[in-house]
Amino acid sequence: MKDLPTIVPLGDEALLVTFAETISWDVGESVRGAAARIRELSRAEITDVVPSYTTLGVYFDGSAIAYADVVALVAPLLAAEEALAPRSDASILEIPVRYDGPDLEEVAERTGLTVDEVIARHSKRSYRAYACGFQPGFAYLGDLDEALALPRRASPRLRVPPGSVAIAGMQTAVYPLQTPGGWHIIGSTSLRMFDATREPPALIRPGDVVRFVLDEP
Amino acid sequence: MITVTSAPPFATIQDLGRPGYRDCGVPPSGLADRDSGMALNALLRNDANAAMIEWAVAGGALRFEADSAVAIGGAEAECFVDGRPINMRTCVWIHAGGELRVGRITRGRFLLIAVRGGIEVPIVMGSRSTLLSAALGGLEGRRLRNGDTLSIGETSHAPTPREVATTVKLDGTVHVVRGPQAQLFDSAAWDALLGREFVVSQASDRTGFRLEGPQLRCRFAAALPSEPTCIGAIQVPDSGEPIVIMHDGPTIGGYPKMAVIRSAWISRFAQLVPGEKVRFVIDE
Repeated sequence: MKDLPTIVPLGDEALLVTFAETISWDVGESVRGAAARIRELSRAEITDVVPSYTTLGVYFDGSAIAYADVVALVAPLLAAEEALAPRSDASILEIPVRYDGPDLEEVAERTGLTVDEVIARHSKRSYRAYACGFQPGFAYLGDLDEALALPRRASPRLRVPPGSVAIAGMQTAVYPLQTPGGWHIIGSTSLRMFDATREPPALIRPGDVVRFVLDEP
Repeated sequence: MITVTSAPPFATIQDLGRPGYRDCGVPPSGLADRDSGMALNALLRNDANAAMIEWAVAGGALRFEADSAVAIGGAEAECFVDGRPINMRTCVWIHAGGELRVGRITRGRFLLIAVRGGIEVPIVMGSRSTLLSAALGGLEGRRLRNGDTLSIGETSHAPTPREVATTVKLDGTVHVVRGPQAQLFDSAAWDALLGREFVVSQASDRTGFRLEGPQLRCRFAAALPSEPTCIGAIQVPDSGEPIVIMHDGPTIGGYPKMAVIRSAWISRFAQLVPGEKVRFVIDE
């Protein structure tokens, strides 16, 4: 086992830092702390800094800076024990939800809970955003109540409407765009998760705390 | 102004892309064949980031409502202005009311149609590039269709350049570097990746190119926590059929990345059409 964190090339215009082998919230805090410190360098050659569960991507303009020089900039910001302290600039967001999803009853049936219990267990707790991505504005929120954990649907839906609140495994999310999707849809929100005219355009950023609150008609 | 009189099945507006928003899940987008696009903009004395039409699959036609200087490159196609064949990769004048007709694309995937002054569409999050999956940028976030009109940016009155732009060489050899999960693949998988030919699948678009060929087996079924990806990442799902992430692809993902195409070869790779062969060469 190599000493962590490790830095490896991600092609010739990015590097990937790995902080741990397994997912935990503390690891995520280290990743996001390092991301914030790299952004504070305000180096124009560094185009993107992308925190994920256990890893951090740092993208650069290869015509303006060499890989080794980016490593030299980034490495000191990962190594110091003190420097790994988490930062606390995250937002707390409340997302109003109507629990009217097409899979709500099936989730209740498969988990052996009543519909009201499913709603209570989903809306009761605070979630944290582990990662944002694969598509614009999609945030992976955890951890879900274990009693609600189900594998993804056997056949994904071809079209999940934007604003769908869904669960899968130990995670929950709001679909920002109309896309195919295999998560169980239990509700919907009218909040726009992604809006190109907003800065930042994604409503939920990695590290944010999210609560789902009942949107009573 | 340009009127789309006969749109091809696939045409979008692209510039050099939208970096800086990967942490919001937004891929960089931009010209798949960036090298050719930059060469055409240089030829037209445009800003390097001027937007142009990325045109694919089949022919079609555009009508130019004002005198315009145009350069076409990237892929190879039979192109005509008012019925007369024109040369690729040179500056061509089209007079007001003139029609540019694109015939068959004979080589390559993405034909780039650049106009002096660039295509003027609103800048969204720092770029004019279209991202279809999010209906973002370009012309209303969508493909061009018949009847669309496109504005042309302010033009300088530079003399018509005579030179021929050098756009990418269309050739199926592509250089890669080891990916973050290179060590999860044994020597049989590496021999296959570097010693055999792959064929670009029909199932390939601006989000990713699937490759058909020898299966690439990972040493163990690795379920990685989703991690940042990049353009050119050769990721290998359980099926063993590699998928190369392209400009509109996912920003994070959990498939092992065996190798990554070097940035200098992305444009060339992007020009491969379904059915075309590709060989990978590693730069250690």
